[in-house]
Amino acid sequence: MTEVRLNRLTKIYSGGKPAVDSITLDIPSGQFVSLLGPSGCGKTTTLKMLAGFEDVTSGEIAFDGEDVGRVPAEDRDIGMVFQNYALFPHMTVQQNLAFGLEMRKVSKAEIKRRVQATLEMVQLDHLADRYPAQLSGGQQQRVAIGRALTIEPRILLLDEPLANLDAKLREEMRVFIRDLQKRVGITTVYVTHDQAEAMTMSDLVVVMFDGHIAQAGAPREIYETPKTAKVAGFVGQVNLIEAPMDPATPGHAATPFGPVPVTAPGVGETVTLALRPEAIDIAPAGAPGTPATIERVQYSGAIVDYTLRFADGTAMEVKTIPRHPFATGDAVSLSVDLARFRQLEREY
Amino acid sequence: MGRNVLNIYCLAVYAFLLAPIFVVVGASFNAGEFLTFPPQGLSLRWYFTFFENEVFLRAIGTSLWIAAVATFFSVIIGTMAAIHYVNFAGRYKEAVRVAALSPLLLPEILTAIALLFFLYDIGIGTTTMFGLLVGHVLMTLPFVFMNVSASLEAYDTDWSMAARSLGARPFTRFRRIMLPLIKPGMIGGALFSFVISFDIFTISLLLKSIGTATLPIQLFDYLKTNYTPEAAAVSTLSIVATITVVVIVEKVIGLKMHKF
Repeated sequence: MTEVRLNRLTKIYSGGKPAVDSITLDIPSGQFVSLLGPSGCGKTTTLKMLAGFEDVTSGEIAFDGEDVGRVPAEDRDIGMVFQNYALFPHMTVQQNLAFGLEMRKVSKAEIKRRVQATLEMVQLDHLADRYPAQLSGGQQQRVAIGRALTIEPRILLLDEPLANLDAKLREEMRVFIRDLQKRVGITTVYVTHDQAEAMTMSDLVVVMFDGHIAQAGAPREIYETPKTAKVAGFVGQVNLIEAPMDPATPGHAATPFGPVPVTAPGVGETVTLALRPEAIDIAPAGAPGTPATIERVQYSGAIVDYTLRFADGTAMEVKTIPRHPFATGDAVSLSVDLARFRQLEREY
Repeated sequence: MGRNVLNIYCLAVYAFLLAPIFVVVGASFNAGEFLTFPPQGLSLRWYFTFFENEVFLRAIGTSLWIAAVATFFSVIIGTMAAIHYVNFAGRYKEAVRVAALSPLLLPEILTAIALLFFLYDIGIGTTTMFGLLVGHVLMTLPFVFMNVSASLEAYDTDWSMAARSLGARPFTRFRRIMLPLIKPGMIGGALFSFVISFDIFTISLLLKSIGTATLPIQLFDYLKTNYTPEAAAVSTLSIVATITVVVIVEKVIGLKMHKF
């Protein structure tokens, strides 16, 4: 059980702008944290600093209050899972799992016992004597996780571990990793650019852009109350509405759905509102609501995506279960619970 | 149709290239006094002559010894150079590569003359085997370098990182992870190195000390004054020896290195 604290952690590669720019983050013991962001946002650099593969330019990495920023990777007691697994190709599954314990001078009998326990934990006891090249991607992944956990590290780090797997296996592995992490109870930092992975697996999602933390919170919090348009857009589809203040109702912005209460900016300025596509109800024309026309229908079975346009030209995305057989060109009526609007912070 | 023409053409090229070797092997079984082909009667007499010829035996011994020692140093230096080249040379990568391969690019005679001058300038000269060994190491180094760099290019640095996160210190990472994974390249380089060293002529001619001779030099000397099939017998034996070395190494270590 290790509590991790990043305090104004910064990484500057020679002469460039900071790859990681003074980030501060508390990770409670036993939590599963995702660093989520596009490539180049600093998430992988942060992970490498946590692992000890990259030097810290300034700031602090603390495990249970103890600064480990200068401790070399080999002494830091971390379990690391690489994107391409990085299994030692000349060693069997068993030898891969034993490697970390051999480094720790654990007795032969104890190594045997713990390797066996890990094999059972990752459900690979029948493949103990295989070489990595003889395993499927999912099996290699489980060996990689097992190898990282066998040494009973203080924290577990995973760098886009599912990126090389096909879609179906990826979903299986999500559940597998999450269950395992819960069972072992190890503090885990998971780097990904896939919002679905971050949302489904994490206790805490940390959205990063340009070396900064844009927002950190529970998946639900990030999705439902994003702070900025970038965050809102990264964790899901979103309708962004640039709404002027409503002159008729003070403290409200005028939207196609009616006045929405906002924390008012100056007179005459606009506010940015976010509205998730599934918050909008779509009904046949004539039903109460705002009239709109369907421009595009994307039917995918369980759900259907509509692109619509209001009379004033504003486009709107709607995601719903396919209740009505609407087609392109149909006139419909849109309605929304006004509480589903989120006012976004300005980004400069 | 077009494919058949290509096949015949390839066969013809191989036949042209390999024919002289078969001629030499054939001529070595000559019963006559002169190096002729087809042989005038079959006999092993020139092989017996060879095994009684101390000069040739000593030359073969010298060649084997030099090839072994040169290969040993070549593998160590070449591997270190390759590791530097692939992992640490950074923007000097291309320069390092050209430098390491330069013995291949320069005419051997130039390298030999340069080394000769250099060895005398620094006072070592050619009275010992040292200069000869330096020359052989230099000429065989590119082959080790190329083979080891190729296997290092396939080496995933994440393997070292993974070992590091598992607690392995630098030397352990090298010994337990990198070394076993680049071993095939090192063995390939060593084989090349040994065979090349066995064959080097110009460097040996200029850098050998008086009284020592490697096999190619001894053969050359011999052919200047004699024209018996004994030369063919010596050549045949050295071909057989070379092939034997390659096959043994491939059987013993080759199988292991393809296990993963």
